[in-house]
Amino acid sequence: MARVLVVDDAAFMRKMVTDALTGGGHEIVGEAGNGAEAVLRYQELRPDVMTLDITMPEKDGIAALQEIIALEPSAKVIMCSALGQESKVLESIKLGAKDFVVKPFQPDRVRAAVEKALAA
Amino acid sequence: MSSDNALLRLGGSTADAVRDVLEMFAPGQVNPGVVAVVPAGTHPLADIQLPAILADVSFVDGVSGGNVMVMSVAGARRLAAVMMGGTGDDLPPADDLDELEYSAIGEAMNQMMAAAAMATSAVLDEEVEIAPPQVRLVRTIEEALENADHNGQATTVNFSVGGAPCTLVQFVPNAFIVRMTRAFDEITAEYAGEVPLSDSLLGVSVRVWAELGRARMPTGQLINMPPGSLVELDREADAPIDLYADGMRIATGRLLVTADGGYSVRIEALVAGADTPSGAGGNTFNTNHPVEV
Repeated sequence: MARVLVVDDAAFMRKMVTDALTGGGHEIVGEAGNGAEAVLRYQELRPDVMTLDITMPEKDGIAALQEIIALEPSAKVIMCSALGQESKVLESIKLGAKDFVVKPFQPDRVRAAVEKALAA
Repeated sequence: MSSDNALLRLGGSTADAVRDVLEMFAPGQVNPGVVAVVPAGTHPLADIQLPAILADVSFVDGVSGGNVMVMSVAGARRLAAVMMGGTGDDLPPADDLDELEYSAIGEAMNQMMAAAAMATSAVLDEEVEIAPPQVRLVRTIEEALENADHNGQATTVNFSVGGAPCTLVQFVPNAFIVRMTRAFDEITAEYAGEVPLSDSLLGVSVRVWAELGRARMPTGQLINMPPGSLVELDREADAPIDLYADGMRIATGRLLVTADGGYSVRIEALVAGADTPSGAGGNTFNTNHPVEV
């Protein structure tokens, strides 16, 4: 079981990720709706794993990832991307993200990504 | 290629992308209709039933124009419920969507249009990005037409998702139609040289293939699949399969095994806008060989 921070600007996607992970026995310790809030919540909560949307207002997922990796180089971050964001996914993997899921996704895929990140 | 055909091709690729994304949210509950070009002088939003939920997504960079999904309030709530794993059958009445329902419809539109933008990018050979979705309740026709200037042409396609009817309207500026027409003609020129398509169509050999079904998975999962892995496709065993010609879906039909042990496809229906010259019903394509159309 992992303590997970879920970050997405869409309340619906936060619910989808939350439902998928709680259904797999994981605990959602917090949520955030933009990149700036994500960095603050990460520092505050120090989750085992974080799911991080790429396209968000104020500060996007790539910028938030950079700050989180600078704070905690071993942070386990899974990027959530839309179709057509391959270049941003590659950039985030180079920056230190552990895995990615492409929306729309099946619950099993999110759970597998979290379990893979935990095992890494 | 005529501008109407370019519009239908664009509308068709958008409808395919939308269908694929909706299928992920509501497996087996998506019924797409036929793409139609809106007659000149008609605004596609002028006759919508009010009140309605409008979900707008504009293209940015590369392409101007955009897409609007039109749904009834009840239909939008039903779609949101289906997306969240429910049936939408037992929803209490409401005049508007709640915050989570707005978010669900916005996310569905965002993902559908991201997929449609990828399909358009492939034709134009340039990146097409989309703006964030705007979802709103409109009660008057003036509200519906706000921010929906219609100076070019438009296509519509109806969908039913989990029993909830919705209409996708695609606004296409004239300058974009010219670019699409040129791009399609360039693709066609690989086969037809400088000869106009209409004159040479019957003599061109095209690659025809049948599609049993689709699956979507992350590349990381795909490349790690060991031999013996099962990939579940999105189609029932008794559902018709799709027939494609050079990337365009042209017909649906049934897979048959021929007397000599090969496969054939018996055509059941041609897809509107596919530019096919002959009628449907009983045509059989053998998938092992090029087909003259």
